[in-house]
Amino acid sequence: MKKLLLLTMMVFLIGALFVSCGGKKEAAQTAAPAATTTQAAPAAAPAAKPAAKLKVGMVTDAGTIDDKSFNQGTWEGILKAQNEGLVEAKYLKPSGTTEADYLKEIGNLYDAGYKFIILPGYKFETALYIAQDKYKDAKFVILDGEPHTADYVTYRTEPNVVCVIWNEHESGFLAGVAAALHIKEGEVGFIGGMEVPAVQKFNWGWQQGIKYANENLGTKIVQKQENNLYQGSFDNVAAGQQIAASMYDKGVKVIFAAAGGVGVGAINETKSRVTAGKEVWMVGVDVDQYPEGLLPNGKSVMLTSAMKYLDRASYDMIKAELAGTFPGGQTLHFSAANNGLGIPPVNPNLSAEVQAKVSEVSQLMLKGEIKVAGELLPGFFK
Amino acid sequence: MKVRFKSNSFVIALSAVVLGLIAGGIFMAMIGSDPFEGFLYLFKGGLMNIERIGNTIATATTLILVGLSVSFAFKTGLFNIGASGQMLIGGLCATLVAHFVNIPRPLYLVVLIAAALVGGAIWGIIPGLLKAKFNVHEVVATIMMNWIAYWSIFYFVPAFLKGPFLETESKSILLEKSLRAAWLNKLFGGSQYINLGIFVAIVAIILIKFILDKTTLGFELKAVGSNRYCAEYAGIRVNRNVIISMMIAGGLAGLAGMVFYTGYASNMQIGVMPSMGFDGIAVALLGASNPIGVFFSGFFFGLLQSGKGFMNAMTDVPPEIADTIIATIIYFTATSVLFKRFWDWVARLLSVKFDKKGGN
Amino acid sequence: MSHVIEMLNIRKEFPGIVANDDITLQVEQGEIHAILGENGAGKSTLMSILFGLYRADRGTIKVRGKEVHIANPNNASALGIGMVHQHFQLVQNFTVTENIILGREGGFILDRRTAAKRIKALSEQYGLSIDPYSIISDITVGMQQRVEILKMLYRDAEILIFDEPTAVLTPQEIDELMQIMRNLVKEGKSIILITHKLDEIKAVADRCTIIRRGKFVDLVDVATTSQAKMAAMMVGRQVNFKVKKKPAEPKEPVLFIKDLNVLNNKKVLGVKDFSLEVRSGEIVGIAGVDGNGQTELVEAITGLRSIASGSVQINGTDITEKDIKERNEIGLGHIPEDRQKRGLVMQFPIRDNMVIKEYYRKPFSKNGLLKEEVIRKHAQDICDAFDVRSGEGIESAAGKLSGGNQQKAIVGREMMLEPNLLIAVQPTRGLDVGAIEYIHKRLVEHRDKGHAVLLVSFELDEIFNLSDRIAVMNSGRLIDTVFTNETNEQDVGLMMTGVKVRGADHESTI
Repeated sequence: MKKLLLLTMMVFLIGALFVSCGGKKEAAQTAAPAATTTQAAPAAAPAAKPAAKLKVGMVTDAGTIDDKSFNQGTWEGILKAQNEGLVEAKYLKPSGTTEADYLKEIGNLYDAGYKFIILPGYKFETALYIAQDKYKDAKFVILDGEPHTADYVTYRTEPNVVCVIWNEHESGFLAGVAAALHIKEGEVGFIGGMEVPAVQKFNWGWQQGIKYANENLGTKIVQKQENNLYQGSFDNVAAGQQIAASMYDKGVKVIFAAAGGVGVGAINETKSRVTAGKEVWMVGVDVDQYPEGLLPNGKSVMLTSAMKYLDRASYDMIKAELAGTFPGGQTLHFSAANNGLGIPPVNPNLSAEVQAKVSEVSQLMLKGEIKVAGELLPGFFK
Repeated sequence: MKVRFKSNSFVIALSAVVLGLIAGGIFMAMIGSDPFEGFLYLFKGGLMNIERIGNTIATATTLILVGLSVSFAFKTGLFNIGASGQMLIGGLCATLVAHFVNIPRPLYLVVLIAAALVGGAIWGIIPGLLKAKFNVHEVVATIMMNWIAYWSIFYFVPAFLKGPFLETESKSILLEKSLRAAWLNKLFGGSQYINLGIFVAIVAIILIKFILDKTTLGFELKAVGSNRYCAEYAGIRVNRNVIISMMIAGGLAGLAGMVFYTGYASNMQIGVMPSMGFDGIAVALLGASNPIGVFFSGFFFGLLQSGKGFMNAMTDVPPEIADTIIATIIYFTATSVLFKRFWDWVARLLSVKFDKKGGN
Repeated sequence: MSHVIEMLNIRKEFPGIVANDDITLQVEQGEIHAILGENGAGKSTLMSILFGLYRADRGTIKVRGKEVHIANPNNASALGIGMVHQHFQLVQNFTVTENIILGREGGFILDRRTAAKRIKALSEQYGLSIDPYSIISDITVGMQQRVEILKMLYRDAEILIFDEPTAVLTPQEIDELMQIMRNLVKEGKSIILITHKLDEIKAVADRCTIIRRGKFVDLVDVATTSQAKMAAMMVGRQVNFKVKKKPAEPKEPVLFIKDLNVLNNKKVLGVKDFSLEVRSGEIVGIAGVDGNGQTELVEAITGLRSIASGSVQINGTDITEKDIKERNEIGLGHIPEDRQKRGLVMQFPIRDNMVIKEYYRKPFSKNGLLKEEVIRKHAQDICDAFDVRSGEGIESAAGKLSGGNQQKAIVGREMMLEPNLLIAVQPTRGLDVGAIEYIHKRLVEHRDKGHAVLLVSFELDEIFNLSDRIAVMNSGRLIDTVFTNETNEQDVGLMMTGVKVRGADHESTI
């Protein structure tokens, strides 16, 4: 009896340890307060429900809703539509990251009447491949992916599905130009999470942007193979911190991290260096990570961010559906050309001069005068 | 005595569940949701139609096998907190078989099960050996083994099972190599994930119950678990039993891994420690370490996990709070040990009252 | 004289057993009142009712003439009733003072000094000689018991209940305890002494209430009642204190120990150069004060402890390299010293405990499958033969049995093995005279069947009563081996202190 009791206590203790560890990790990843989501939640249930409001659902990917990345970016677009009184929104958090877990939540949304479902991330591709047939009267938007079978043999997008794809390399290019213009000379570094296409494209575009600035805008930035690497995961905060530290020790001035939690580690390292009086910078990814880099003095270590306008994608698709112009069956490419990506509109750490230069470059890209390659060009690092 | 004790632990478990639900309900009320509505949708979500029942069973299957693994180790006085790692290795072995073994299906299934059993058993036997030979506490050893498994997956999946594009997960196994069966899916109204694993779980439960109750091996294991000094005195080889117990527990968790990775899911993701390995501890506690009890408590937890999303979708309970509610219920149900005291106390009270009445 | 405690017509039932059936107990102010009964007669239940641990189904309790309801130990405490439990309730790494004031801290800040002063004063008043600042784990069991007594006194208990207080004590400690009890009574306290040891009752008690199988038998004046009469009332028949036995007819050696050295838990030699022979058809008793290497010796023979050097043979086979199972199979039976730790699996039913050494053998199992019917029958046979009583028969969990019944079950199991060599350590510990008589008889029978018995006991009476030869141990060494009928308790007692007595050594065997 006593033994069992002891055992129970041990379970709790270990359980508590686990919970606290997990919690810490999440907290670290979302260091900035999630103001947007928390204030929006109560607003989710307005007093009077007009009958025929579109019910929009979202299933979160791994991570929390305030992940400063895909989940949050997508959800903010949906929230915008809700706050404008256009739709009724709900997100569900799957209990795991398998196809089965995703499909289960899609089914739950569907059964609860949420028949316009937005899925943030390529991880939903195979689940959507099944769901698009299973729930024919529902509409789906997948960000950053296209439905296909598990073996990648068959790609098929039904008329009730819209895929949104970004040209990450263009976003990386613009961030590279901005960073180069800001520091003018010195070394830069790149930290990737896993070596997956979206991350690679950010990297390749970033390198091309730096090179462009060196060749056309008079900067003298050095890029080295040793300062360009992939950590191998999206959640190893400690490793991110270490990699950033070693890069800074070698003289790197700006690090672009497209690496989730690994990037959080890099940001932490940057913060402590800046606090210690060093002049180093970070470039964020996916969303405007400015708040992530905030120091107690109100300044941020984030120079700028290579954004995908996720919120725009979800918001635009909702608007299109409401207007009856849902582009079902299509794959939309969000690029600089259609203002689907870029650096944030406001960059407190960039001078007006630099910002003006970047939007000039952006204009050139829009006109097609600058072409950014979404693949590994010779002479660049993998 | 046997019958009495059983019904007794059933009452204990049931009261733990009820209290867990009440605690969860209070939680819901605290955040301003209607608990009755919440539970209605929670259970509807798991049982509303035949498809959802299938999904619930699919979720429960893994939990049952892990719970069985943990409770088997409990019986020998060992605390197997390494079910997650054993699941990963069992699942890895099964996934390797699924990718590289091409033989007729009945034979294939046998090989698949054997591979998962062996993989999990190896992962269990190592802490068992460490405990037996060097008296390394199994809690420490199994936790370490969890992380070794976790990082091994980082190596094995990209090295041998890499998909065409993604480095983060293995290539999906073919449908005909998975534990899913078309007739079963059809039977459960198109449930995608119900798989042959449930039969593996049921057979495992019967087998374990038989071993524990009817065999000399079970006798030894229980004796070692209940009083290792007496077992030693009686000539039972304590260390050998510790190793066997961890081996079998590991094998069962390995089967859970197989069911999860080649039945419920169809690939392995790197960097994910299966949380069922820990939920299994709660399953075992609620099930009073009794194989039959584990079956029902595993199903109950499966139901909670499975119905959670629908409750979320139908009510204003935020998903994060829903997780907390489920955790609260699990927490309270896992305290079933405390309820034994409660019921003993009630029984005593009642017997006094009853006797007094009888006396007057 | 006035009655300080009266328990009138108490009845208490448990599932399957009536523990107290209309028992009446009247304790006078300032007396030592013994309650005598066999194991499981209902003594402890009665006291638990008085102390508020159980509630009586029927009957009334009066304290100092006033009817009271005692719902829990706190009520009992408030009424001035204190209980010294068999198992001490002390925090091992706390000091005496801290243990005594635990739960009685009274206020936010611990005033240890004042408390210690009072404890010191109490200790002197009653002759307890306790240092209030010692750590519990550093003091002997006997001292710990006195701390328990002090705890009661500190809480102003007027009526002290002692539940089998001597079970854990050495002979000297028992004597000291008796003296303490007398001191307590002299100072005006009243004592209830629960025991089944007649000599203790004879030594200290004034009156004695005898109960048998839950029923009140008689209330006797101790001074005028013989031990034999009390024993007869307790057991319900005449009891023979001396076991009848024929002279031994030792034959071939069964146990042969040569130059044995064994390390104890502190990694120093606990058994030193020990040689001994036990032949079939004889009982050899090991006499010695507890802690002189008996435990290590027995563990080395039975395989629970590895040996440093030397050899042990059973039936001519060297067993030093054999594991316990193999030794058991060669013909070793062992009644262990600590029945709770070694002897039984408390969670297991008696049924399974009775085959714990044989479950894997025919007829109890076949091809790895247990034969429940056979096992059940075997267990039932043991319980019948050795009068093991329990609420639910062989299905009772071993832990639910009273201490005496547990002991009988273990003895029964080992005897039924018919071992060629039976090692019996304290075989009658905690048993009442009836059970002791029976077990002694069985041990002699075992000898007469041509088996060898090695008896280890800390009670000289038992050694002399049973043994054909006595081997005396001191500090891990064999002092001497003597024939029982050629020595006396004085000589053996002297040898136990390490002195070899000249006149007795002419017949040492090895």
